[in-house]
Amino acid sequence: MSKHANHEVDVVIVGAGAAGSVHAAVLAAAGRSVVVLEGGPPRKLGDLYSSQLWARRLKWTAPAASDVGADGAGVSFNGGHGYGGAAIHHYAVWPRLHPADFRMASEHGRGLDWPIGYETLRPFYDRVQADVGVAGDAAQEKWRPPGAAYPLPPVPAFAQGQAIARGFEARGLNTAPLPMAILTQEYQGRPACLMDGWCDAGCPTGALANPLVTYIPRALQAGAEFRADAHVTRVLMDGAGARAIGVEYVGAGGVRHIQRARAVVIAAFAIETPRILFNSATDKHAGGLGNASGLLGAYLMAHPSISVFGMFDQDMQNYLGPTGGQLLNQDHFAKDATPGALGSRQWMIAQALKPNDLLGIAMSRPDIIGPALDQFMRKAARGLGNMVALCEPLPDAANRVSLGAARDAHGLPLAQITHRYGNDAKTLIAAAADEGAAIMKAAGASENWRSPIAGQHLMGGCIMGADPARSVTDSLGRLHDVPNLIVAGPSLFPTASAVNPTFTVHALALRSAESLVRDWAQFG
Amino acid sequence: MSAATLGRRGLIKAGALTIACMVAGRLVRVSPAEAHAMAAVPQVLSPMEAETLGHLCETMVPGARAAGIAEYVDSQLAADPSESLLIARYFGVLPPFRDFYAAGFAGLDAAAKAAHEKPFAALAADPALTLAASLLAGAPSGWTGPPARLFYLALRGDAVDVVYGTQAGFEMLGVPYMEHILPPRRW
Ligand SMILES: Cc1cc2nc3c(=O)[nH]c(=O)nc-3n(C[C@H](O)[C@H](O)[C@H](O)COP(=O)(O)OP(=O)(O)OC[C@H]3O[C@@H](n4cnc5c(N)ncnc54)[C@H](O)[C@@H]3O)c2cc1C
Repeated sequence: MSKHANHEVDVVIVGAGAAGSVHAAVLAAAGRSVVVLEGGPPRKLGDLYSSQLWARRLKWTAPAASDVGADGAGVSFNGGHGYGGAAIHHYAVWPRLHPADFRMASEHGRGLDWPIGYETLRPFYDRVQADVGVAGDAAQEKWRPPGAAYPLPPVPAFAQGQAIARGFEARGLNTAPLPMAILTQEYQGRPACLMDGWCDAGCPTGALANPLVTYIPRALQAGAEFRADAHVTRVLMDGAGARAIGVEYVGAGGVRHIQRARAVVIAAFAIETPRILFNSATDKHAGGLGNASGLLGAYLMAHPSISVFGMFDQDMQNYLGPTGGQLLNQDHFAKDATPGALGSRQWMIAQALKPNDLLGIAMSRPDIIGPALDQFMRKAARGLGNMVALCEPLPDAANRVSLGAARDAHGLPLAQITHRYGNDAKTLIAAAADEGAAIMKAAGASENWRSPIAGQHLMGGCIMGADPARSVTDSLGRLHDVPNLIVAGPSLFPTASAVNPTFTVHALALRSAESLVRDWAQFG
Repeated sequence: MSAATLGRRGLIKAGALTIACMVAGRLVRVSPAEAHAMAAVPQVLSPMEAETLGHLCETMVPGARAAGIAEYVDSQLAADPSESLLIARYFGVLPPFRDFYAAGFAGLDAAAKAAHEKPFAALAADPALTLAASLLAGAPSGWTGPPARLFYLALRGDAVDVVYGTQAGFEMLGVPYMEHILPPRRW
């Protein structure tokens, strides 16, 4: 296989998704030469067809990882591949972490602490929110941590949201508009959302904060170079094992390339990021880069979640609104709010529905087949309401990404995922299921039911921490033992909270990238 | 939804057409010739497998055969796995997807033979429905191949996709499609 050596650049970034694109935009704007290597295709807005079938092309197929634990982590559904990564078709529910999420171990004696507190991240949340446009109602969202008001008015509640909200109210529970990185008015030249629930297929209008319309254009304008179909196999180290000197990747036609760089950012999402670090082992780092603590790959987390469904007699207009939902409830967000479990939980209420697909109408009752199905479909297309409970998984070192026996087309070991939910997570889910049934009943649903547990979002695997013996990176994502090798993305989370991770992924990436700019003398 | 937003959707559609022009030939609907080609002999499935697939999917989701289930699955198995639209991708099924389908059909036939001494494709409507329904609970007697529940969910998903997941399917349910960019083909 031939090898092609490229000119050295300041920074090479692996992965053109949410985290990688923020790094690219900030570093390029500061005058650094930046190359972004993306393993998938060079997607553009025009590829985002309105179809749940076609949406499946946006997922990650190769290299595949095997899931061997008791509870699958949902690796195939949770990934993305190509410019924009998973964020190209994410649903843009963007709540912030709460201050208590950063102090779980010190306040409850279980879980882990973050090396930073909410106050450190707060200004970065505020700036990202202004950069991309987030819609919400800070006053009504009474659980919201302190921060700048939302730049945009909230997404509206349609018939489905209004009906289910009445159930919350009848049970003495609160709702507020769901905070979303979706434009409700024109913002910075991007148009407002049309509220038609095609978020999962990727939003081609630019209303949803998809990297193709947020940080990738900024990075390109500032001179960053993006290379698609560039699959990174490993990080290259200097002889002393002290510094990363670039990466190796396989480009079009199977040609191997070397990209030298003064700093390397790995933003390849929760499975591939630790896999690349394992596959980069050298004699000085026999267990993989960043693995002096033995914790590389450890503490993988997926949010345990369930959907709760209710059938209503009224027309719920359930095809309207964003796919992520219309309303939020965090009444049970305090870590000890659910008896018998430690952890937060939240409701996302009134997801827009399509007839087919994993989260569609037909799959809500997988047991119905034969002539009864069409009857169900016609009724549910009018009357189905739904909401999703997202619960907190405690970090468990036994849940992890490691290397399996299978190899990819380039001969490198594939990732293997070992994952199961702990008892706290199961108790939180059971409490949510009971509460959800009561809410649907109170809202007037003639019948209600719930889905099995599914894993949403992947986090952990390269956790940040203050103590190098108990974490992989510092709070900026720099490997404790290789400071010019930086991890970005949800891999860094030491705990998962019960909120969707991508707003926090952006805030962490902005903080990390700006620190690189500030400290560049150490790298250049 | 206000008249203003509906009006603006028209603009987005016009935008989509412009995009179609730029990537010449990609945003076209199925032509009669293409449809005929798709209905032709399967490229990947054996005729017997196509028959088993058609019977199972029609049993689970009436209308699946006429909606083109065999052509759909066959065309997706022929495609590069990264371009495949099959819902099996979401269930952690690894490429080549053909192996998953072939093993499932073999399992289904083995179960049908164990219970009725006939391949699945030869079962009448009632026993076919009973056997199909039993897959969700786990492997029926005689079953071999992938987890029966997984096979059930994937093939029911395929059938739902072709019957309800296209523009025609939405229309049948009275659900507005509200596309931004129409896919170049049904699948
Ligand atoms: C259906 C769905 C809905 C979601 N909804 C929400 C939501 O509402 N709110 C929320 O907060 N989050 C949501 N998420 C999660 C969100 O998408 C992720 O948290 C976010 O994309 C993570 O950012 P990232 O940059 O770490 O990874 P990604 O955005 O996935 O980017 C990683 C990129 O790295 C590339 N890559 C991987 N390996 C290599 C390699 N070896 N070489 C080169 N490139 C490589 C990948 O191809 C990918 O493009 C959702 C996800 C999905 C799938």
